[in-house]
Amino acid sequence: MADLTLRDVRKSYGGMEILHGIDLDIASGEFVVFVGPSGCGKSTLLRCIAGLEDITSGEMHIASERMNEVSPSRRGIAMVFQSYALYPHMSVYDNMAFSLKIAGEKKVEIDRRVRQAAERLQLTAYLDRVPKALSGGQRQRVAIGRAIVRNPKVFLFDEPLSNLDAALRVATRIEIAKLKESMPGTTMIYVTHDQVEAMTLADRIVVLKDGKVEQIGTPIELYRRPANLFVAQFIGSPAMNILPATCEANGEGMLVRHAAGGAVHMAMTPPTGPAGGEICLGVRPEDLFVAAGTDGLFEGRVDLVEQLGEVQLVYLDIGRGAPLIAKLPGNQEVARGSHLRLDVRPGHLHLFSKEGHSIARRETS
Amino acid sequence: MSAPSASHPAGQVNVWAVVARTFLLALLVCLGIVVLYPLIWMALNGFKDNSQIFGDPFALPAGWSWANYVQAWNQGVRNYVTVSLIVTVASGICTVLISAWTAFGLTRSRMPMKPIVVGFVLGGLMLSPTVALIPLVKMLQSMGLYNTYWALIILYTAFRVPFTTFLIRAYMLDLPRDLDEAATMDGASEGQVFWRIILPLCRPIIISCVILHVLFAWNEYLFAMIFTSGADLQTLPVGLTSIMARHGTNYAVVFAAMTISALPIVVIFFAAQRYFIRGLAEGIGK
Repeated sequence: MADLTLRDVRKSYGGMEILHGIDLDIASGEFVVFVGPSGCGKSTLLRCIAGLEDITSGEMHIASERMNEVSPSRRGIAMVFQSYALYPHMSVYDNMAFSLKIAGEKKVEIDRRVRQAAERLQLTAYLDRVPKALSGGQRQRVAIGRAIVRNPKVFLFDEPLSNLDAALRVATRIEIAKLKESMPGTTMIYVTHDQVEAMTLADRIVVLKDGKVEQIGTPIELYRRPANLFVAQFIGSPAMNILPATCEANGEGMLVRHAAGGAVHMAMTPPTGPAGGEICLGVRPEDLFVAAGTDGLFEGRVDLVEQLGEVQLVYLDIGRGAPLIAKLPGNQEVARGSHLRLDVRPGHLHLFSKEGHSIARRETS
Repeated sequence: MSAPSASHPAGQVNVWAVVARTFLLALLVCLGIVVLYPLIWMALNGFKDNSQIFGDPFALPAGWSWANYVQAWNQGVRNYVTVSLIVTVASGICTVLISAWTAFGLTRSRMPMKPIVVGFVLGGLMLSPTVALIPLVKMLQSMGLYNTYWALIILYTAFRVPFTTFLIRAYMLDLPRDLDEAATMDGASEGQVFWRIILPLCRPIIISCVILHVLFAWNEYLFAMIFTSGADLQTLPVGLTSIMARHGTNYAVVFAAMTISALPIVVIFFAAQRYFIRGLAEGIGK
């Protein structure tokens, strides 16, 4: 059981600062996922936590103990690498037993723990094999097993599924979720750029961009109440549609008019934003639906239809900027080149200031 | 009508391919004969006597008597083999361990001005043994190492470390860093990472380096001649020269002695040929 705390953690290589003051509290037993685009610093942050990179400034505590100067092996942390990093010249058994042998554990205890972990991960039949004689999924399980035998306080995963094919990725993701359930006291930190992994596995997600935390929250919080334009567009697939718009006071609420001409009265949202000013209007593709009659916030010509079976992605040319993407039911008749009106419930709209900060939160309706 | 005309050019191509392959095969066989025949001829002449050697040098021996080999062995070759063996094994172990440890430091550790250090270590490749002879004689004499095993062991090690480091470093650069980091996370010290992870993974290049070192140390003549004077400390190349001086007219014994001296190298090379080529290909071929 270990809380993990980061306070103003910075990491520089030479004169270049990669992490710009990360503050983070991770509760004991929590599953936290770091997501962000390539180069955002998520792997660097994980390596700083592991002790594989020195923290330039700031503090890191595990279970209230300062860890900045503690060597990686004494932090009570185990890590599963993106490349698995299995020792190619050792058998599966020896790979899993390596840390215990280094720690000077007794042979009987090493054997018990390795076999216990192997049984849990269904690796018993492969203990005598070398890594190159295993499939990708089995290697991944060995990498996890090597971490499990150490009974770590904190488990780190660095994009562990990125080398697997799509089907195996789903299966292994489910196994990791089960593993987490079976180890409720172990804190897990998981780095990925795959938002599906983040949404399905995480208790909380930390979204990073350019070495800064953009937002921390539960998957559904990030999806429903993104703190800024970056999070709004990063979480969700396809990304949220963003249109320039203006807002002006209108009775008790405000009237939002987007660049293509459509307007909507948002009665339930307090006019906390710069009323009368320029804002950005966000709408998720899955929140759009075909409008009845002549209503509809958006209208335009259908540029492209991507039929995915269960759903279809409709690209609507609304006359301004990038096409509006709508995720509509797959069985709905939408012809390319046809004229279409789309609407959205006001509660599903997102408003952002010109600087990209959220100025109104979507309400459930 | 079109089928025969289509098959004709194809037939021509096949003929040329067969000719090319035959030519290549013949070339390789010729090369093999050029390399192997002198060795076989030398070994066969060790079974003859002088009259047979001069009377019919290319004929097979009249009998298969080991007398010349036994005589050569008893008249000094045994001592020369022992000295060569001690010097080669000791300097080989020292060279490979020092080079591997140096390569580990140069590829794995964080140090300031690493490129300069790499240049300094590999710069040893440029040093000519001949140029260094006189200072080395003075140094080893003043250290009391002249005419000892250590003189040759130290010199062979010193002069082979840069090249061996160059080979092992190139190989280590290709080993993924994740392995070191995983071992570090598992609690291994730098020494344990080296001994238990990196060194076993370098086995192909280590074997290549050992073979190259054995080839060098077993056949080295200049240092062995200069830095040893006593008959009991002569290595095979120097010893063979003195055998030739002693048995100048008994060529059969000289041939037998030369065959004995060449045999270990040939056996070692053929036994480890697969690793030798793999190690070099993986180390510097990428």
